[in-house]
Amino acid sequence: MGRYVVRRLLQMIPVFVGATLLIFLMVNVMGDPVAGLCGERACDPATAARLRHDFGLDQPVWQQYLTYMGNVFTGDFGTAFNGQKVTELMGSAFPVTIRLTIVAIVFEIVIGIVLGVVTGLRRGRPVDTGVLLVTLVVISVPTFVTGLLLQLLLGVEWEWIRPSVSWSAPFDELIVPGLVLASVSLAYVTRLTRTSIAENTRADYVRTAVAKGLPRRRVITRHLLRNSLIPVVTFIGTDIGALMGGAIVTERIFNIHGVGYQLYQGILRQNTQTVVGFVTVLVLVFLVANLLVDLLYAVLDPRIRYA
Amino acid sequence: MPPEVLLEVRDLHVEFRTRDGVAHAVNGVDYAVGRGQTLAVLGESGSGKSVTAQAVMGILDIPPGRITRGRILFRGQDLLKLKESERRRIRGAEMAMIFQDALSALNPVLTVGDQLGEMFVVHRGASRKDARARAVELMDRVRIPAAAQRVRDYPHQFSGGMRQRIMIAMALALEPALIIADEPTTALDVTVQAQVMDLLAELQRELTMGLVLITHDLGVVADVADRIAVMYAGRIVETAPVHDVYKAPAHPYTRGLLESIPRLDRKGRELYAIKGLPPSLTDIPRGCAFHPRCPMARDVCRTDVPPLYEVPGDRRSACHFWRECLDG
Amino acid sequence: MPEPPQPEQPQPDRPHISAGDRAAEDGAVAATGMGGAMDLAATEAESLEPAQPGGAPGAPERTRSLWSDAWRDLRRNPVFLVSALVILFLVVIAIWPSAIASGNPLHCDLAKAQDGAESGHPFGYNGQGCDVYTRTVHGARTSVTVGVLATAGVTLLGSVLGGLAGFFGGTWDGILSRITDVFFAIPVVLGGLVLLSVITSNSIWPVIGFIVLLGWPQLSRIARGSVITAKQYDYVQAARALGASPSRILLRHIAPNAVAPVIVVATIALGTYIALEATLSYLGVGLKPPSVSWGIDISAASPYVRNAPHALLWPSGALAVTVLAFIMLGDAVRDALDPKLR
Repeated sequence: MGRYVVRRLLQMIPVFVGATLLIFLMVNVMGDPVAGLCGERACDPATAARLRHDFGLDQPVWQQYLTYMGNVFTGDFGTAFNGQKVTELMGSAFPVTIRLTIVAIVFEIVIGIVLGVVTGLRRGRPVDTGVLLVTLVVISVPTFVTGLLLQLLLGVEWEWIRPSVSWSAPFDELIVPGLVLASVSLAYVTRLTRTSIAENTRADYVRTAVAKGLPRRRVITRHLLRNSLIPVVTFIGTDIGALMGGAIVTERIFNIHGVGYQLYQGILRQNTQTVVGFVTVLVLVFLVANLLVDLLYAVLDPRIRYA
Repeated sequence: MPPEVLLEVRDLHVEFRTRDGVAHAVNGVDYAVGRGQTLAVLGESGSGKSVTAQAVMGILDIPPGRITRGRILFRGQDLLKLKESERRRIRGAEMAMIFQDALSALNPVLTVGDQLGEMFVVHRGASRKDARARAVELMDRVRIPAAAQRVRDYPHQFSGGMRQRIMIAMALALEPALIIADEPTTALDVTVQAQVMDLLAELQRELTMGLVLITHDLGVVADVADRIAVMYAGRIVETAPVHDVYKAPAHPYTRGLLESIPRLDRKGRELYAIKGLPPSLTDIPRGCAFHPRCPMARDVCRTDVPPLYEVPGDRRSACHFWRECLDG
Repeated sequence: MPEPPQPEQPQPDRPHISAGDRAAEDGAVAATGMGGAMDLAATEAESLEPAQPGGAPGAPERTRSLWSDAWRDLRRNPVFLVSALVILFLVVIAIWPSAIASGNPLHCDLAKAQDGAESGHPFGYNGQGCDVYTRTVHGARTSVTVGVLATAGVTLLGSVLGGLAGFFGGTWDGILSRITDVFFAIPVVLGGLVLLSVITSNSIWPVIGFIVLLGWPQLSRIARGSVITAKQYDYVQAARALGASPSRILLRHIAPNAVAPVIVVATIALGTYIALEATLSYLGVGLKPPSVSWGIDISAASPYVRNAPHALLWPSGALAVTVLAFIMLGDAVRDALDPKLR
């Protein structure tokens, strides 16, 4: 187990370097990192040259990358466009996005799994067909459309929620945005659970459980669910990283000041350090979530062993 | 004195709705098992032997399956008339089933201790600790070495033979009156088959249980069974005390089965094989279902379904010409 | 998992399975960051095994019968028929938008801004006073073009790279796997924002290029997997034993049988790419005015949503129906190609 974790951590290094380098190159090579530093005006050539030197931008790109990563690992993510430390921005943005992601995950778990179990146990009945169709529609409608429509309906027409979330973004204001963020994954979790349940219902060990004279409830919860949810749990685990990275659309619609908002600002103002810093953390979250899911898999399924 | 009758299946009909039409899996099966008795149910795959057993246990998949006619009497009580909750209490406690492939029949993510102990928790209201202790006892009883340690292992950590012993232990847990074993040794290595079969037979004698042994292996039958019931296309074609069948079968299908066993005294001769294939259950031939493959078939076989004729010596045969068959 | 009967000894050391492989095997596909539709495509394709012909010599005939069987199923499947008709309609209006909308999508009249439907203008006007119906019809061209070209690029690049890696294995396979891992670690929308924000070009090519850049790993993984599976079939081994050259084995024996999952994923992916283009345009980094695109229109309509919801709803509806049509088509094709469902 220990050796497996070490091996996986080593495997993560090239992926981490590759992903961050890719982002670093996109931002640095294709954009002009100095452009955003003089505020709205263009920098005069002398200032630009000085800034370039100050930030080490006159050095080769690979050296810039190494310097940047060196700083990152000492906890220095650089400075944002308004002079704030990027770490401070992260300190305010990440809690918001984490709350939003938690809401989304809870929706995935509660609604997705319940719908999946219900449809999986009633395959071919009207409720199954109906839910399946709805999931396809939800998957097909892009998140930003779902978000705008829900905002229009719940926020503007019926005034159940505030169309935009306040700066502090407490949990109760994040319910609808969380549902929007979760929507596509939610539909997918439903389908995945349904398939898994339907496959396992026919499994021999479920028949054994029935032959043992167990009550139907116990057959379902202890035998059927325990096995069927393994792939679902692992999907939801890996989805954490994807949700945090994808929150940018939802945060824009509901004006939530989370990671997506800061990233968007960083990109608009061409602030290299903000963008690369946030993306680096998101990539790390994604990789760590995947590692944890792989480890969790062994806990859930005793047949798995790590080599 | 004949033993107390435990299970009696009378005129059971089961069908399955499939895409290709209605499959008539069981078409009027009658059999009975007494206390301490072993009935071997013999037949090719698709002959309805497993479906009958599942109907008895009440684990048939409904739908697509459907019991259209018949009765299943357990200690004189018609199981088909019971409520599901009442049947559930009988399942596992008074009648239990041993499945063919223990690896897939045991839950892969629960320890064998949990799965054995569950019987006591659910049916007897035992505590977790108690249940664990009983699980270890059971594993001892089916001679699994180091039971106290291995009770925490998962099914995949056992060998095939050991897993089948666990399956047997689970069926025996509450000392049921009747055990249905569905090809309990088919998935095992030949060397292990005999050990597992001996263990099963021994425990059956010890607890004087009734045993329905479903198999397609005539070799196993001779050693352990008292009676034999041969099934073909969802019907019993012959039933008789086991040794009489070996001496003189009263149905051409049984004869075919017996002749297709390799035997030392016929070494060098070509092995007999019943010609043709078992019929499709959606399209069972008219008359005697076996007639297209029967060497003795005549015109009447193509039109009239043979009833189960009484044959002297407590036997029955569903062949119009059972006398000729008996005479060889 | 079926396994052969085992000897009567305990086996503490069964072959080790890595959790990752196991997860993939069980259909627990890691989130791809492309959204649920891409996850859906990936799981569906992975559960769809490459065609396995029965006998060795009859390989090509069997493949053909798989497809003709699938076609017979599809012709009777209402889901397929409806989605195929929708797609056909979309393609037609993408080629001749003026056939059903004669107006100029760039002609706007500020005096009519946010007005509702009126005769000749069934969808009303948007915030700038442009005709919503004309713009929605003309928006199909951009969406379909981006979707088709991006899918073509992704499929070509992904299946060639993935197929070769799966066939030859070894170092290149290892390197390719690591490279795809890198791309999976970057959230797609985020990557789009970063990369496309610095591009000022007004054409559809940067968007297509970006989708191909971040989309090919998904397809290469699918193609690699199905080539590896098909490679193990007996008839391929037989062809190898008979001394067929690698290129002949790959093109004649493996490719025809490994292509089904790729086609299914590509169909569903086409839908998701259309959605992705709209999302990027909504975020202001995809296509930019004066291009006519559903994403741009939805984005432009959102500030006026209180007074003119129709300007948001029509392009949104068109977008949703289009994406749905491609996903349902892929779903139906998948079901038709899955012999297990017969």
